[in-house]
Amino acid sequence: MSTPAMQPTDTQRGPGAIAARAVNVVKTYGEGDTRVVALDNVSVSFPSGQFTAIMGPSGSGKSTLMHCIAGLDNVTAGQVLIGDVDLTTLKDRALTTLRRDRIGFIFQQFNLVPTLTALENITLPSALGGRKPDEEWLAMVIKTVGLGDRLKHRPSELSGGQQQRVAVARALAGQPDIIFADEPTGNLDSHAGAEILAFMRRAVAELGQTIVMVTHDPVAASYAGRVLFLNDGKIVDEMIAPTPERVLDRIKTLEA
Amino acid sequence: MFRTALKTILARKLRLVTTSFAVLLGVAFMSGAFVLTDTVGRSFNGLFDDIFKNTDAMVRSSQKLKTQGGDQRPRIDAAILDQVKRADGVAAAEGFVQGYAQIVGKDGKAIGNPGQGAPTFGTNWVEDTKLNSFNLSSGRAPQTPDEVVIDKGSATKGKLNVGDQTTVLAAAGAIPVKIVGIAKFGTADSPLGATFAMFTTPRAQEVVAESGKYDSIGVRGKSGTSQESVRDSVQKVLPAATEVVTGKAVTKENQNDIKKGLKFFSIFLLVFAGIAVFVGAFIIYNTFSIIVAQRGREMALMRAIGASRRQVLGAVLIEAAVVGVVAGALGLFAGIGVAIGLKALLAAFGIDIPAGGAVILARTVIASLIVGVVVSVASAFFPARRASKIAPIAAMRSLAHDSSGRSIARVITGILVTGLGIASLANGLFGHKGNKLGQAGIGVLVVFLGVTILGPIFAARLSGIIGAPLPRLRGMPGTLARENAIRNPKRTSSTAAALMIGVGLVGFIAIFAASTKASVNQSLDRAFTGDYVINVNTGGFGGLSPQLAASLKKVPEVAVVASGRFTPVEMSGTNAVLALDETTWGKIVDMKVQSGKLTDLSTPDTIGVYKDEAKKKNLKIGDTIPVTFLKSGKQPLKVVAIFGNKDLTFGNYVIGLPTYDKNMQEKFDQLLYIKKVPAVSAETARAVIEKATAAYPLAELKDNAEYKQSVAKQIDQFINLVYALLALAVIIALFGIANTLALSIFERTNELGLLRAVGMTRRQVRTMVRWESVIIALLGTFLGLVIGLFFGWALVQALKSEGINVLKIPVVTLAMVTVIAGIAGVLAAVFPARRAAKLDVLQAIAST
Repeated sequence: MSTPAMQPTDTQRGPGAIAARAVNVVKTYGEGDTRVVALDNVSVSFPSGQFTAIMGPSGSGKSTLMHCIAGLDNVTAGQVLIGDVDLTTLKDRALTTLRRDRIGFIFQQFNLVPTLTALENITLPSALGGRKPDEEWLAMVIKTVGLGDRLKHRPSELSGGQQQRVAVARALAGQPDIIFADEPTGNLDSHAGAEILAFMRRAVAELGQTIVMVTHDPVAASYAGRVLFLNDGKIVDEMIAPTPERVLDRIKTLEA
Repeated sequence: MFRTALKTILARKLRLVTTSFAVLLGVAFMSGAFVLTDTVGRSFNGLFDDIFKNTDAMVRSSQKLKTQGGDQRPRIDAAILDQVKRADGVAAAEGFVQGYAQIVGKDGKAIGNPGQGAPTFGTNWVEDTKLNSFNLSSGRAPQTPDEVVIDKGSATKGKLNVGDQTTVLAAAGAIPVKIVGIAKFGTADSPLGATFAMFTTPRAQEVVAESGKYDSIGVRGKSGTSQESVRDSVQKVLPAATEVVTGKAVTKENQNDIKKGLKFFSIFLLVFAGIAVFVGAFIIYNTFSIIVAQRGREMALMRAIGASRRQVLGAVLIEAAVVGVVAGALGLFAGIGVAIGLKALLAAFGIDIPAGGAVILARTVIASLIVGVVVSVASAFFPARRASKIAPIAAMRSLAHDSSGRSIARVITGILVTGLGIASLANGLFGHKGNKLGQAGIGVLVVFLGVTILGPIFAARLSGIIGAPLPRLRGMPGTLARENAIRNPKRTSSTAAALMIGVGLVGFIAIFAASTKASVNQSLDRAFTGDYVINVNTGGFGGLSPQLAASLKKVPEVAVVASGRFTPVEMSGTNAVLALDETTWGKIVDMKVQSGKLTDLSTPDTIGVYKDEAKKKNLKIGDTIPVTFLKSGKQPLKVVAIFGNKDLTFGNYVIGLPTYDKNMQEKFDQLLYIKKVPAVSAETARAVIEKATAAYPLAELKDNAEYKQSVAKQIDQFINLVYALLALAVIIALFGIANTLALSIFERTNELGLLRAVGMTRRQVRTMVRWESVIIALLGTFLGLVIGLFFGWALVQALKSEGINVLKIPVVTLAMVTVIAGIAGVLAAVFPARRAAKLDVLQAIAST
């Protein structure tokens, strides 16, 4: 199942490289009168080693953008590139293995397979690819998220925060080109949420990972190095080194 | 509430269909069995109405012997006919002669097979056109002893025409005949497939019956006289030991006999229908359990906003009732198709039954609907009650995982129910009271129930063991398949239980068949010292003329010929004894006579008894036992031999040919054991024996190995029919697996979405679902085989005294069953797997 051609190369991973790109992406739903434009000619790049947050009011298209770039949804027009692979040219099977080998996911809920232990969940993508994970890296990831004594537990035996940490570890374990997080703290209390966000920031800062996070929480967004603001399917603004207050202010003007 | 229930059903039409299907198939089988037997019954009723249409009264012997096929009566003196003709009000009277005869077709083969299909008759051609049920369609009536009229059906099948020379096989041997006429039965070519060779009366008496005797006398009254008055006036002229009945009465008698015979047949089919319905009930139970679990939150919400427990219970039961009505109604109509299929199936196994247009009685309609509804509602009751017990607060909680099913209460109930089943089975097999077959059957069902109750306790561990190689064989999808099979032991085990029933019965039958074959072989090896066997299977009707045995005895290359005849009798403990050639039998079959002598059976009215039976009844040499024969009635037989080996005696009693000849009217051999002169080579012996049997197409010479093979083949044929009938139960169980998988997949939508998102390919999804299915199927197979083994063992123990004394486990067959079950699991997973693979990833992630 493994496809060596798609393995990341150093040129794609190095500082300054672009992990993922959307080029003139259009996404519409329905036809004729009921036609809704979710993404209106969006172009955006996600450089490697960056933590980017995508914000916007409900219906702004932020989740759709993430789904399209992550290869979970197809686009109506335009291009989506992970490294230099154009997702819009791939069939389901190639898209699936690309997600498995080069993208990490953290969802808001239903992140873990209930029948597998924490460790099995963490190594799930590589197991699906029939590969052994990189032991050294795995040990570091597990240490980073602090799950050492919980690895044999099933998700039902873990708290919500612990479950999300397992999900973060899974996303990191495969050393993907890019990790997409969809409201990863949406179901957590503020303390557990802060913990997860801190892990994600460390993953970027210390482990050199690339993370794109969709959120509506200004505090969560403030953990990122860059915030993109979406409204009506368009990127309307960008903020470097955000603070919760500035993000909140910007969002208020969008929702007004 | 009713509307809510209906809306729920309509919203999930597909599930309604698949759920209904499980019951529908069983109901269709049941309705098909009814339709088929009712149709056959009506055909026969019509037949007898036609035969006795112009018969006002029938004269016959008042003596009778009860046999399985109805009463048999001895023949009456032909001289009675003249007296009957002179009775008041009689317009015409004719003597009827009837016996076994088979017409040989153009290709040299005998037409028809009375052992498996319609009977083959030799009769006299009745001159009175109104009392004769046949009418000539070409040619003329027989006038000389070598002339016959045959039925048009036989003429067509045997490619015979008026003017042809052929042979008729009968008691008197192979009779060369010339066909002078072809007759139709009313407008039909032959009555329900029976064949008729019709001779002149004296010739018919001579070759198929007895000279100077009639089986019965048919009487036609003068016009304007009632059947009753004809009967009464004939009654006045009859001698002792004869009786007269009206045409209506004799028609009714015949119809009732057929009805009784058909009842056995219909019960046989209904047993399989019952098994199918039973399996269907499991599926309903399962489906509703899963539905209730999945809809728990919705139901809790209903309770929270004010629905009472009864209303929740009612809503679920209404849904079940709708499923039942749909299943019952569709099953009823599908039954007509099933009836046609069953008829074709039976025909493929050599059992040809006549049937006209489909007969659907009110009973069939009512039974189908009631079974459909009752089975559905009863099976859904427990899940419904569980639903009604959901606390309103559950609406606010997320659904807990079902980890119940390992309680002490379950262990105790399961063991109790299983024990009860075993007790009932043991009572049926080894007890002496009541309906033994019924007790054993109920025991079997209850054991299945008990094991099903116990199932969840070991289902997880067993599934884990069965699925153990999967992670290595199929990687992550294999691991997940195994985990999915384990995660809900109750669901897995009750789904597997449905398959367990079918496989259990198949395994049981396979073991029983293998043991029977092995026992027959062992009997032959132990007791048979001869070289060849000739046996005819004509279902107790006709056989080989004793002339064959006589002529074989004269062949110099043959050392011993011993013939045997199955003799219907009425006596305590059995309804048939073996009549054997007492002069030669001992030289070819080792009966281990312990006291007396086998050759003493040469004195008429003597009998030999098996040692255990003699002990049980406290019989000694010189004691007498009353035995009722067809011709002579009740006779005291003197015990002259007690034997220690009943391997080849087909029962506990034997009589000699002189006793047989004195008390029976038909003289047919059904069995010939032959031993060649040792010095003669097998080839030579075979050649000369086959030359002697050439004139008897029924006589098929088999050496020891061939005979064993032919017995095995006969057993296999029956077993294969049973397998075919059990196949439905297995198919229903597969629907159950498919249904459970589909519901599980629906339940695991989010999980599947996640797996797809993080990189599980569609093919891997299908692999995962497929192997979960295979694990469930193999779990059911394993449980089934264990139970089947137990049942097989129990039955063989019970039949020890009947000569089944070897327990043989057909390993290859059982291995094949396992492989087939695995493949069936793959098939059951096809649709659920496809559905799972096609899930839209985004929707799956998004749905909550």
